[in-house]
Amino acid sequence: MKIQKILLGDKMEKILQKKTLPDWVNKLKNYQIIAPVQNENHWDFQILSDPSRIKLDYKNTILSPKKFIFPQREVFFRFRSDEQSSYDLQENLPEEKPAVIFGVRPCDARALTLMDKVFGGDMQDPYYWKRRNATILIGLGCNHPPSENCFCTSVNGSPFSREGLDIMLTEMGDTYFVESISKKGEQLIRQAEALFKNPKEADKSEKKQLKSRAEKEISRKIPNIKNIPSKLETMFDSDFWNEESLSCIRCGICTYLCPTCHCFDINDEIKSNFPIEGERVRTWDNCQFPDFTMHSSGHNPRPDRAARLRQRILHKFQYFVKLYQTYQCTGCGRCVSQCPVGIDIIEILNKVDAR
Amino acid sequence: MKSNDYVPELARIIDIKEEVEGSRSIKTFRTNFVNPNGFSHRCGQCAMLSVFGKGEAMISISSTPLIKDYLQFSILKTGRVTTALHEMNPGDIIGIRGPYGNGFPIDDWKGKNLIFIGGGIGLAPIWSVLQTALGKKEEFGNLTLYYGSRTSADLVFKEELEKLKSEMTVHLSIDVEEPDWKGYVGFVPANVTEKSPSPENAISITCGPPIMIKFVIKALQDVGFDDRQIYTTVENKMKCGIGKCGRCNIGHHYVCKDGPVYSWAELKDLPQEY
Ligand SMILES: Cc1cc2nc3c(=O)[nH]c(=O)nc-3n(C[C@H](O)[C@H](O)[C@H](O)COP(=O)(O)OP(=O)(O)OC[C@H]3O[C@@H](n4cnc5c(N)ncnc54)[C@H](O)[C@@H]3O)c2cc1C
Ligand code: SF4
Ligand code: SF4
Ligand code: FES
Repeated sequence: MKIQKILLGDKMEKILQKKTLPDWVNKLKNYQIIAPVQNENHWDFQILSDPSRIKLDYKNTILSPKKFIFPQREVFFRFRSDEQSSYDLQENLPEEKPAVIFGVRPCDARALTLMDKVFGGDMQDPYYWKRRNATILIGLGCNHPPSENCFCTSVNGSPFSREGLDIMLTEMGDTYFVESISKKGEQLIRQAEALFKNPKEADKSEKKQLKSRAEKEISRKIPNIKNIPSKLETMFDSDFWNEESLSCIRCGICTYLCPTCHCFDINDEIKSNFPIEGERVRTWDNCQFPDFTMHSSGHNPRPDRAARLRQRILHKFQYFVKLYQTYQCTGCGRCVSQCPVGIDIIEILNKVDAR
Repeated sequence: MKSNDYVPELARIIDIKEEVEGSRSIKTFRTNFVNPNGFSHRCGQCAMLSVFGKGEAMISISSTPLIKDYLQFSILKTGRVTTALHEMNPGDIIGIRGPYGNGFPIDDWKGKNLIFIGGGIGLAPIWSVLQTALGKKEEFGNLTLYYGSRTSADLVFKEELEKLKSEMTVHLSIDVEEPDWKGYVGFVPANVTEKSPSPENAISITCGPPIMIKFVIKALQDVGFDDRQIYTTVENKMKCGIGKCGRCNIGHHYVCKDGPVYSWAELKDLPQEY
């Protein structure tokens, strides 16, 4: 009990005036500040060059903040041949300043807890954990579902889920209701304690109402999700996958944008042939591409769209459940909203249920 | 355990032997770690070999763990990394990380007759377990090898196979007739069917092209082998080797971690994605 209290800290509940958010941010000098930034027609998480311009009045970003923990491209090590025709290898663990990410949606924070399972275990991924441990996540609860395709409540999430977060912000008029969830979060609030007021009982009950209203506003659902993993087990050889994948143009958007997808490639990029000099690089990869599994002989265990859609669905709703007792999907809806041909994971799962 | 599994150890190639010439060239490499912090392996495990500037390839360790002086790899030239390896010379430096995979449960096989069945380059992963069994011959029953390739020129470990004949039963085969060939002519599974090995107290270990493995398993079942007596290895494309890059899975199994060695009893219940 005691240990848990130290890790979790004392749960703090505070009120912060929206207009003083930049003042809080300005106190956090030892951190990189990452927050959603508006581009022409979309929002994107970026490192703020001027932290005082922070704004959280956004819906959701196209790419989740996973890219700050598991970047699209990163250098594992650098190699250079030396005079003894051997090699000098320079390990390249991340050295970035600790970061605070503001405005993380609860589904994207939960997604990182799923990623933790993959990059943890008996073979820890040092690159991932170096960044993960140096990042503080400040969530922004969803008063209204940011996307018409949100379905977090069907996959054990909620518009106010705290999983993976250090602090939760709830927008209430001109203020944020601020709750610390972890010790790290608590310390961040303490760095600017004078800015925060104590909430009144009315604030607390308003926050509760927001939560239940938000859950009701989520219209897309998978009512019988519990049945899905066992149903999928019987469907590996079904023609269903062929029918559902016919329109897929294998662009890979569904997987690149998914906050829980973790597949990657490892390649060498060279700067010079003599001496041999270059980098061993990890990049995101994608199970929707044919060469993802193709051998040099041309043999491909997953030869067609059907097999690749099946892999995406089964990985998230059967294999992952078997390994970690949870779905590998947090219901953010990105793969549904952004698929150019309208392949819809919610619809697919409901069809699986109906079979 | 290493704190960073992605950075390989440097190793020097100490010997290269050409096994098969031509377009499907196979060479056997022996390596020594440059620094003493290398690793020891179990038979059937693999290692990720690096040619710096070209990338990595997963290769079975074909030497027995009983030999501590070097690690041995037999490599078919097929793409970027394997071609670069084939162009290397003794003294050149590569990277090695591993060992990866589960390996063969050879300790469970004490007292049993072992039947090794290989096709083409598929003899490489079997070679380490075969040599281990030979090195501890008194602990096992009869040892038999079935091995075949397209032509006699495509057989790997030709000299070693000759010597092997005095130590265990060896049934060689080639796919098509050749003038001086004394062994069997036909596919490996047909050779197994013809010789009809007894399943009594036996374990079979099969490795080769997927299509060969499929028919060998059928041949073994036909002569009475139980699924638990049949072992094979799976090759799925691999990048990380440690269950993270999400590429080598068969259902919820990651072949790099949970395989590559499977009994047919285990494998037959997994989806056909290999
Ligand atoms: C567990 C295991 C053990 C193996 N043992 C041996 C061995 O002992 N000897 C041997 O010659 N080969 C072995 N292979 C196959 C070997 O890994 C590939 O031939 C090699 O990766 C090809 O690399 P490349 O860069 O030359 O070819 P490219 O075609 O240029 O490689 C592109 C990518 O394809 C992948 N790839 C291509 N073919 C295969 C394949 N057949 N299996 C898995 N991945 C592939 C690799 O990840 C590679 O990065 C093994 C493969 C696995 C998975
Ligand atoms: S986004 Fe749609 S079209 Fe693109 S790979 Fe995914 S399912 Fe196929
Ligand atoms: S599978 Fe789709 S809905 Fe689920 S987390 Fe990934 S992108 Fe979001
Ligand atoms: S090789 Fe990366 S998961 Fe198996």
